[in-house]
Amino acid sequence: MAAGFKTAEPLEYHRSFLKENCRPDGRELGEFRTTTLNIGSISTADGSSLVKIGNTTVICGIKGELASPPADAPNKGYIVPNVDLPPLCSSRFRPGPPGEQAQAASQFVADVIESSGVIQREDLCIEKGKLCWVLYCDIMCLDYDGNLLDACLIALLAALKHVWLPEVTISKDTDLAEVNTDKKQHLSIAKHPISSSFAVFDDSIVIVDPTAEEESLSTAMMTVVTDEEDRLCTLHKPGGTSLSGEKLQDCISRAVTRNREVSKLINTVMHSVKPQNSIQQLPLLGTLARSSCVLTRVWEAVEREMVEHSKPQGSSARDLFDKL
Amino acid sequence: MPVDTKRVRGPDESQSPLIFLPKSAQKVVPKEGREDGRQRGQTDVRPVFARCGLVSQAKGSAYIEAGNTKLMCSVYGPREIERKDETDMKSGRLFCDFRFAPFSCQKRGAWIQGSEEKDFSLALLESLRPGVCLHKYPRSQIEVNVMVLENDGSVLAHAVTCASLALADAGIEMYDLVLGCSLRQDGATYLIDPTFPEESGSCVADNAENQGSVTVALLPSLNQVSGLQSDGEMGEETLVDAVRACIEGCHKLYPVVQQALIKSVRRKAPPPEN
Amino acid sequence: MATVQVSEAEKVYIMHGVRDDLRVDGRGCEDYRHMEIETDVVSNTDGSAKVTLGHTAILVGIKAEIGKPRPMVADEGFLEFFVDCSANATPEFEGRGGDELGTELSNTLYKVFNNRNSIDLRTLCISPGEHCWVLYIDVLLLQCDGNLFDAISVAVKAALFNTRIPKVHISEDEEGGKEIELSDDPYDCMRLNVENVPCIVTLCKVGHRHVVDATLLEKACSEGGRGSLDPESIFEMTETGKRVGKALHAPLMEVLQKEESLGKKRQKVGFLG
Repeated sequence: MAAGFKTAEPLEYHRSFLKENCRPDGRELGEFRTTTLNIGSISTADGSSLVKIGNTTVICGIKGELASPPADAPNKGYIVPNVDLPPLCSSRFRPGPPGEQAQAASQFVADVIESSGVIQREDLCIEKGKLCWVLYCDIMCLDYDGNLLDACLIALLAALKHVWLPEVTISKDTDLAEVNTDKKQHLSIAKHPISSSFAVFDDSIVIVDPTAEEESLSTAMMTVVTDEEDRLCTLHKPGGTSLSGEKLQDCISRAVTRNREVSKLINTVMHSVKPQNSIQQLPLLGTLARSSCVLTRVWEAVEREMVEHSKPQGSSARDLFDKL
Repeated sequence: MPVDTKRVRGPDESQSPLIFLPKSAQKVVPKEGREDGRQRGQTDVRPVFARCGLVSQAKGSAYIEAGNTKLMCSVYGPREIERKDETDMKSGRLFCDFRFAPFSCQKRGAWIQGSEEKDFSLALLESLRPGVCLHKYPRSQIEVNVMVLENDGSVLAHAVTCASLALADAGIEMYDLVLGCSLRQDGATYLIDPTFPEESGSCVADNAENQGSVTVALLPSLNQVSGLQSDGEMGEETLVDAVRACIEGCHKLYPVVQQALIKSVRRKAPPPEN
Repeated sequence: MATVQVSEAEKVYIMHGVRDDLRVDGRGCEDYRHMEIETDVVSNTDGSAKVTLGHTAILVGIKAEIGKPRPMVADEGFLEFFVDCSANATPEFEGRGGDELGTELSNTLYKVFNNRNSIDLRTLCISPGEHCWVLYIDVLLLQCDGNLFDAISVAVKAALFNTRIPKVHISEDEEGGKEIELSDDPYDCMRLNVENVPCIVTLCKVGHRHVVDATLLEKACSEGGRGSLDPESIFEMTETGKRVGKALHAPLMEVLQKEESLGKKRQKVGFLG
């Protein structure tokens, strides 16, 4: 019965939950899905992280390369963030060049990096006018169930914190770069921009961390980015219905608390990742019966290392299911 | 030159720091034995971790990890065929898309699908197709998307295994699973399920004979080979032995893959409690 | 690729024939169709060949150009393949229809010819790290009637045999700068050793036996070439492939040498023959 109602009248279905101040998956309006984080599981990348917000899964891999600095800023390096939505993550995306949503997400991430000053681009300079680092930050969605931007920013920030670049000098004799992999350094991360996304239902109800379905039914979307000092860095509201100043204020305060929660999560996971060696080994989890070659790595590690933020409080939703 | 306006672009040219490494710091694959403790000339494939049903949006999905090689696959469909010009509508069509994530290889990859990826897509398609009952899906298409998250060798072989797991997880009717295994022939001995350095051949003595690599896709319970790729030069007997070793390697994977499937089926439909 | 439909009755007829080592066109299981080879057919290439196999017709042209060696192998030249599936060959190739097949064919050719023993790529080097010969091998499908791989490989081999690369001399001036000089004499040129250049032998399993050089009809009887095989028949097929390949190489080299020995007296057949 409930399933039929959901398919035939998705909007009414959602409304009936929202009336009771809860959502079909059991969350309250201002509740995020469980957020889990794994850092450093891709050894081919110089920094990497995997973020799950509910079902939405995003992986970020950062690779550093060497280039000559831009002509207009000889003492700066490059940060090149790109968000990819491959056909793998949802049937709504087609193979080929990035679609509108991926382009918008890439631009959003680039804007946040630029405006928040998460990294001083001067830090990426190796020798003025000669050599600098290029950080290719490739963010890839592996499972698209809404709230892409929040996941992207967490993944980016965690991967940036994990980046581990070798020391590079320019040899005086040959004028060529010399790379020393024995000496590696982290980047200095100056700011902690973290976003919270909201969806507006029926012009008045604001819910946080929408799923893909909620996104498609909502009348407006908004993303608020704040930094660790509770300052607002970006507010992204691409069209949609209008929102009162009061509601906006509520959203910003929610974003501020969310920032604290996520910062804590990133720090906890960073500490649990072993003291930095060049090769990272994640723990094995024992073997399954019958076979000599079963091994448990990233996904299990995700589940183990995850720090739960919010436990779903399912009772009210279940009551509602019974009613339907 | 056309400018890519759909992505955030970096500088026109950049180089991997790896090419500036001093010669002494570059990794050399040992001539004897293998770095990860496995033996040459034995079919000890790397331990595999396989899991189904991770992508909530897909009909079926799978994730496989073997050593540091990590890849995932999702399956969409069957849905109505998009290309209507096909003459043969009696059976369904399978589409395979194989991609490397830009950060998955030692050298950063491009965003646009390269010829190696196209080649792998085709090899994947040809290896999977004999295993799928396509005649059960007239006028429909089934899409298989593979994404390599980290490449540490034998990606095509593991992609085949992963994709067949995802197809099974999606409930697509199949004759059998399809398992993949690859091998690097190095003179008289071979390295099964090679890692990236072993595969890319920096271990090769210059004038040795029988240098090559073989990838086999096997339908294990029917004992049928659905895909066979061999590169390099090898004597006929060496090739035959290499294929046999790969088949043996596939059989070692079989129980792991079966377990992963059983697990996913149990989760979808828990056995009745009594 | 071009495909044909085959009825059940036809299928049985073909399969029974193959079982008795007698194919529809009278061949045995390991026989090729009638093959014609002519080299030096396009005058503005450095080497060319035209091969017809049954109704499959392939034209290969090779152009040698001076390029920069690849950084990984500084003392070798290299080959570049391009396969053009023109709509002349079959209407299926109209528009971008032939692109996929073209990529598949050129990738395969690259793999097959890029082996150390096939062509000694070091002979293509002019000065290590600076200059080398790049052979651009263009394959044009004129007509498709099955077994493209084998026909193309024979045509490439013949064209490589026919290729003449001008000799170059490197002279150094006082400042150590190098200059490349092309020989004035058009007959002063380098030939390639094609003795070990591979030929592709495609086998097709029809019923319980396998056949060489399958026609489109025969291919349609073996799941359109898309099925799977049991390991034992793969091994049998490798063995047959090796035997047939050997039997193909010897007469091919003989024919090529004979044609060349005729020199100018040779009667040119061209494209209408």
